[in-house]
Amino acid sequence: MNEPTAGATSTRRSSRWLMTLAATLAGALVWLALRPAQHELDDVTDARVGTLVDLRLTGQRGIFSLASLRGRLTLVYFGYTSCPDICPTSLAATAAGLSRLTPDELSRVEMVFVSLDPERDREPRLSEYASYFHPKIRGLTGTPAEVAEAASRFGVVYRKVTPPGASDYVVDHSALTYVVGPDGRLLAELPHGAPPDQVVEVVRRHLPR
Amino acid sequence: MRLFAPLLIAFTLASIAPASSAEPAPAPAPSVAPSVIVSDPYVRLMPPASTRTAAFLVLENPGPKEKKLIRATTDAAKVVELHTHVHEDGVMKMRPVPFIGVPAGGKTTLKPGGLHIMLIDLTRPLVEGHLIELTLTFDDGSVLAVSAPVRPINPH
Repeated sequence: MNEPTAGATSTRRSSRWLMTLAATLAGALVWLALRPAQHELDDVTDARVGTLVDLRLTGQRGIFSLASLRGRLTLVYFGYTSCPDICPTSLAATAAGLSRLTPDELSRVEMVFVSLDPERDREPRLSEYASYFHPKIRGLTGTPAEVAEAASRFGVVYRKVTPPGASDYVVDHSALTYVVGPDGRLLAELPHGAPPDQVVEVVRRHLPR
Repeated sequence: MRLFAPLLIAFTLASIAPASSAEPAPAPAPSVAPSVIVSDPYVRLMPPASTRTAAFLVLENPGPKEKKLIRATTDAAKVVELHTHVHEDGVMKMRPVPFIGVPAGGKTTLKPGGLHIMLIDLTRPLVEGHLIELTLTFDDGSVLAVSAPVRPINPH
């Protein structure tokens, strides 16, 4: 190891670093203070929030539509069962949130897991996968056209990709959890991996009285 | 997104600064380069319906040269790939990577939402607490055997 810059040079260099760092941090603080009021994490500024959303897909017990759940708060997540990380992280966190609700609260909440990979995700595997996280979570999918229709209603972006070096295709996908109100309106969107406490807070805030 | 720029720079600097300002005396060079140290390995417990899972761990490189994890194998899966996640415009993209670098004197953490070892086509069901034997191969030819327990997802 070559260490020629001892003493003064290195001290001067590190103090310049520190000054740059301090200036940048000060800038960041000013930005933090001046930017618009912080949105809550679930208040994603999506034009769809407030609009009516629905989906018509197939579950283990046949055709299913969100409209059939009117009167209850419904959480909707789009993913696929071959997803080893993102989907389980979100589903496990949401499920942990559901488990913290009282039985009465839980009786007014539903959750669906929509598979964006109908080719591979078939019943009964899909429902087994979904309900593993929480018995309240039901698996749904449909024909590729039906899935595409459902995804577009929620603004979900997804794409089947076989990246170089991968042995099989993966599905790139939006990883939000959608909160649909008892009247079928999209109320909020939870970010990927929203912690259980946030799930509980959002559910309680929107739960029908 | 120019508003994010100052923050981004701050974070970047924050991660660089300690390395440039603090200069601890280098440890005496060992005659044989120490290999990568693995800690906290685990394999994620998945629903029985799932045929895939991910392994996570921390790789620490006490040596003076960057090391690259270039391959992982296990008898618990037919295919093993090194992966990362890219989060772009709200879309999660899982992508294979040719290697996972561990900087000299630093560490690399494989964790949910980022780098992971993906186990595809599991050869047997995952059971909580059971050990999955992983073999990690590095670019310097060194090979490490790791026993990773199967752990449930524990959100908090």
